[in-house]
Amino acid sequence: MSLNPDDIKAALRAKVIELAEPLGMDASGVTDDDILPATGFLDSGAILELVVWFEATYDIRIKQEEMNIDNLGSINAMTDFLLARKQG
Amino acid sequence: MASYQTVPCVNINDEFVDVVSIDVKPGQYVNSGDIVATVETDKSMIDVVAEQDGYVLRIDAIEKEKARVGSVLFWLGESADEPIPDQKQESVAPDGISLQPTAKARALLKKLGLDSAGIPASGDRLSVADIEAWLARSGKSITPAAGATPVARQEQMPAVNGELVALSSEAAGMLHAVSWHRDHAAAGYIEMEYDPKPWEDYAAAYAAEHKLMLSPLLPLMAFRLAQLGRERPAINSTIVNGQRYQYQPVNLGFTVQAGTMLYLTVVRDTQDMDTAQFISALGEIQRHAMGHKLPPQEASGATLSFSSMARWNVSRHIPILPPQTSLIVAHAAPKNAGHAVLAASYDHRVLTGFDVAQVLQALSQPPK
Repeated sequence: MSLNPDDIKAALRAKVIELAEPLGMDASGVTDDDILPATGFLDSGAILELVVWFEATYDIRIKQEEMNIDNLGSINAMTDFLLARKQG
Repeated sequence: MASYQTVPCVNINDEFVDVVSIDVKPGQYVNSGDIVATVETDKSMIDVVAEQDGYVLRIDAIEKEKARVGSVLFWLGESADEPIPDQKQESVAPDGISLQPTAKARALLKKLGLDSAGIPASGDRLSVADIEAWLARSGKSITPAAGATPVARQEQMPAVNGELVALSSEAAGMLHAVSWHRDHAAAGYIEMEYDPKPWEDYAAAYAAEHKLMLSPLLPLMAFRLAQLGRERPAINSTIVNGQRYQYQPVNLGFTVQAGTMLYLTVVRDTQDMDTAQFISALGEIQRHAMGHKLPPQEASGATLSFSSMARWNVSRHIPILPPQTSLIVAHAAPKNAGHAVLAASYDHRVLTGFDVAQVLQALSQPPK
């Protein structure tokens, strides 16, 4: 997968929309700064699915203690976290 | 007299399994229920448990190699030096030439994907009755949550054209659970409405204090249920042969929907955990389930369970009891209803409706 920031964000937006759909939510208006747990688009189960997909897609391992708002709370935060991890 | 235990049937169409590990040695004493080996197919992995107490006399399966379903896995005896009978005598003709199973037995073996090796014949030739007796015995060698498939009961084929399709290991596990619920438990069901706000406030405060990304509401409720399992031991027990079997650990089952798959994940030994440890352990196991990478110890051995369908906005669901448990709590929180629902399927052989109502009442409020 591309590690271009715009590509990462686009992939994340698409996944959020995909995961929201079975919950009866239209997440097409999600922005990169939205705090995902607060948007109501995704419940905890869907956020967990998003994280598992994120790990598998970008081949990273996220520790349980790293799963917080600062690291993964928004599309921007997830992108920054990924790029920092890849550069580290 | 020495007896043997056979390589279990994991999936009905698999003739062979891979022997992942042999966990006992000749001369070792094992108790019924001890894990003696682990076997797997490309679909699932299961622990094989001893069906009875005894000394391991000989191990016929070889670690890291394939073993034919139905072949002898190991022998047990009442003493460590007990002689092992020549098992092949049972299905070998006097002149030493193996006799074929009967035609009906061959058809059944083919249908079940089994081999006649290791299935003892009561007469000169292996019969359908022999196979059914063996299936009834070998079914016990698979731990309950691992998906023992009850195949001994023959059902009439439908009159409409169709074909048999093998079940996935998950579907076989569901069939096993439903069959136990039907055949063993005296299942009852109780539900009660409750005000969800105290729990929501408690979970929100906990999330803020610990900077959690995911709502801890359901894990907190599940942990409260595990605590109740310690306070009220009967809900953490089952019935075996007319007696109550009290589990020592509280292994909390927690359903996880991962795509189209429904898993009963298991957090073991919750009695040794505090709230944060439980939430962390459950989170880790949920991620394994979401990635369809649940190891056997995280998918078996539940002694008490919690299931929520709140995310699907249902108003009621009546869960099936996981095998050899007496209680599974069901949670629902229909949107805009102004209330939530706690319910439970329970085994009336162990618990009364009053017992269960008290548990639900206690669970409807967060810890003080």
